[in-house]
Amino acid sequence: MLKKRLIPCLFLKNGFLVRSEKFEYHQLLGNAIHQVERFNAWEVDELIYIDITSDDVYDIRRDDLKVKSEDNILTILEAVSKTCFMPLTFGGRIRSIQDIHDRVSRGADKVTVNTQAILDPGFITEASKIFGSQAIIVSIDVKSTKQEEYEVFYNHGKTATGLHPVEWAREAEKRGAGEIFLNSIDRDGSAEGYDIELVRQVSDAVRIPVIACGGVGQFKHFSQGIVDGNADAVAAGNIFHFTELSTKRARKELIKSGVDVRN
Amino acid sequence: MAIRYCTRCVYPSSSAVPLQFDENGVCSGCRVAAQKHKIDWDQRAEWLKELADEYRVRDGSNYDCIIPVSGGKDSWFQTYYVKEVLGLNPLLVTYNGNNYLEVGLRNLKRMREVFGVDHIFFTPSPQTLIKLNRLCLKKMGDMNWHAHCGIFTYPVQVAVQYKIPLIVWGEHGFLDLGGMFSLSDMIEMTAKFRLEHAQRGFDWFDMLDDKNPGMEEGLQPNELLWARYPSDEELEDAEIRGIYLGNFVNWDANKQTDLIVEKYGFEVSPEPFDRTYRRMSNLDDMHENGMHDYLKFIKFGYGRASDHVCKDIRSGKLTREEGIELVRQYDHVKSRDLLRWLEYVNMSEDEFDRIADTFRDPRVWEKNEDGEWVKENIWGGKSAYPVPKLTGSNIDWSHLQKQPIPG
Amino acid sequence: MSDSDVNSCASGPRVVIIDYKLGNVRSVANALEAVGATVEISSNPDTLKNAEALILPGVGAFEDGMNNLRTLGLVELLNELVLVQKKPILGICLGMQLMAKTGFENGIHTGLGWLDAEVVRFDFTGEISHLKVPHVGWNDVRFVKESPLSGELNAPHSYYFVHSYYMRCADTTDVAGVCEYGHEFTVALQRDNICGVQFHPEKSQKHGLALMKSFLTEAHQLVEAVC
Repeated sequence: MLKKRLIPCLFLKNGFLVRSEKFEYHQLLGNAIHQVERFNAWEVDELIYIDITSDDVYDIRRDDLKVKSEDNILTILEAVSKTCFMPLTFGGRIRSIQDIHDRVSRGADKVTVNTQAILDPGFITEASKIFGSQAIIVSIDVKSTKQEEYEVFYNHGKTATGLHPVEWAREAEKRGAGEIFLNSIDRDGSAEGYDIELVRQVSDAVRIPVIACGGVGQFKHFSQGIVDGNADAVAAGNIFHFTELSTKRARKELIKSGVDVRN
Repeated sequence: MAIRYCTRCVYPSSSAVPLQFDENGVCSGCRVAAQKHKIDWDQRAEWLKELADEYRVRDGSNYDCIIPVSGGKDSWFQTYYVKEVLGLNPLLVTYNGNNYLEVGLRNLKRMREVFGVDHIFFTPSPQTLIKLNRLCLKKMGDMNWHAHCGIFTYPVQVAVQYKIPLIVWGEHGFLDLGGMFSLSDMIEMTAKFRLEHAQRGFDWFDMLDDKNPGMEEGLQPNELLWARYPSDEELEDAEIRGIYLGNFVNWDANKQTDLIVEKYGFEVSPEPFDRTYRRMSNLDDMHENGMHDYLKFIKFGYGRASDHVCKDIRSGKLTREEGIELVRQYDHVKSRDLLRWLEYVNMSEDEFDRIADTFRDPRVWEKNEDGEWVKENIWGGKSAYPVPKLTGSNIDWSHLQKQPIPG
Repeated sequence: MSDSDVNSCASGPRVVIIDYKLGNVRSVANALEAVGATVEISSNPDTLKNAEALILPGVGAFEDGMNNLRTLGLVELLNELVLVQKKPILGICLGMQLMAKTGFENGIHTGLGWLDAEVVRFDFTGEISHLKVPHVGWNDVRFVKESPLSGELNAPHSYYFVHSYYMRCADTTDVAGVCEYGHEFTVALQRDNICGVQFHPEKSQKHGLALMKSFLTEAHQLVEAVC
């Protein structure tokens, strides 16, 4: 049967790999390429790259490294896709059909759209017609508001929409999204585990696959996301950078919990 | 683009360790250091005890863990902690890069007596090291690449060979200095860290002639056996796990040095260093604080004194003003160990300076009308930093251990 | 034997990816190159004629796929190369589906008709109505007969799938591999020189690359036999 997927998520800021916390704070981890080499070696299921560059310019060049840092996301994509024989999703800063085309033609299999989808939901439909809905993932970032309600935010988690994630996920599905990438802003970088209630609500509400992200601090959180949250795939950013052979260890944990994953 | 400085410590944005600044201009290193006060260190000590129990070999058929040691203050502290506090039986492993200060070598050799432990001490052929020193200076402006490689590779090879899964490292340098990770991440040693950060992306096969046109040193693969990191299969089979003691102990270099000096007789350097005010750091490699670090100044515009100042500001030992004074005094100094190095590898000072200049970061350095190198200072304004010549001056460098020079 | 045939005996297999403006040709090309093929992406008749093997990729809708093939004048050409000249061809995902007689995506559409098969949507009802469509992710493929795709028939491996429609073969001897999602269905086929896979070997890492290599090796041997 179809396996549940374990997906490392790499956040890129001005081309540099970063560790993310509450969407606000990013620590620089290094070059995107070195980490891909490890994921390839560990045969992960899929890779998601999200470009979270806003407008800060920063300068991370050093001349004495073997792999030079690039600050152009498309150049990085080209380099990554040459050696990445697994599904590759590239998201962030996608505002137009041309942006999608620029990524797909350079080797991205899927793209995620977030802000643009909220500003113009018709964009989802247009994109899925041209590239196929399986290539269009709608990324949904969620915060708990003061009233303990879930609310969708966009623009790097800064602007509120007044929408409930279930409502928005259903809308995205109707408009042609192939998958939902669900991110909890509150849990981001917290190591407390997924917001299981959130994951479950959205997973149960739509008939397209849901990828959970945000909050993983221990490998057992992945099992919780699948078993308790009903997610189809579990993603994480930070944790895979912390230990050796990390995705293999995560997989072992999932198998031990009885989840059907690739081994 | 101008260089900016952390508002709390003295790190520049051109730092070798990747830094991030927050909206108050405070760097990620300071931010992570501030986390230290909020950590429940007693709980961490408990976790470490549990972990130690997991790896303890009860039937005594093997060592409980490996400690990679240089003989420096961190090594002593790690060994003390593992042996005395955790009650484990470690195997000490040293990669010798052939740059020991006499005092550093004494400290290293004494470890087995002081702690009663077995100790493997590995030295690559000095001929090979000389080639690597020369090549890596030209290739990446760092003659000490071999040491960064050896230190992170050789102990892991031994762990795989001897089937000892647990390796106890000290502090994670990039976390501690630049806040690359958070203390809550409980990060462990990875091949990626070794390759990308310790070794700048280069590995042993990049040192062969075919990768170095115009800079060939004739290095052969079988001279670099100590530099080959175990494969993923080997790591998985041996279940290798490298933990950082710094994630479990509230690391304070000054306090720890006091402890090992009083309790065990660790020796600090009798001579002051040229490029930093600390006396207990880097006794294992005279160039680490010396020429290797001078090159950091050439490249990025700051040096080891800045690193030490940042650590001391964060632990409350220095104010920022005091720190800046030390930076002013030490960062730019061209240290005497250069003379030992030039003799060791047979290079002239002029050639060394010429090569070093090719690595100057244009964001940091520019030339004035007199052709001198100029940069901004953290205390304000710009200064010229003309390059002094040490050769032929009457500097006394006899205190540096003269390593046997082949040929 | 032409000059180009002489060349092919000396080097890796010459593969042409049929460019009909649909699909992730770059990924497919990267993967083929990684297993040693010399790759061109083209819709030029001469280039296709000189290929040792053809790849028909495809991501998108059945109707668009057939329209593009027709507009580019590729249908007759491919019929000639594949059905008459028996050139080895591997269809991937939509590429495989187009080889059917009929496709039922958004209407009823005529395919290339190389196999007696039809392409229908996953329709999960009753107990399995919770299963999500598209079928996205890794799933185990069991090869049921030996073919250039299967290597030896050993333990099933997983490959990467992403599709909402699947192929139903009327002639079961065409079926080379099956998979289960809700029910068992065909995911690999082989009929003479025609091969097809529903999954994406270029996205299936080690085993995907091995499958492509296996297909190419067989194709290359056919040429070598002539040399």
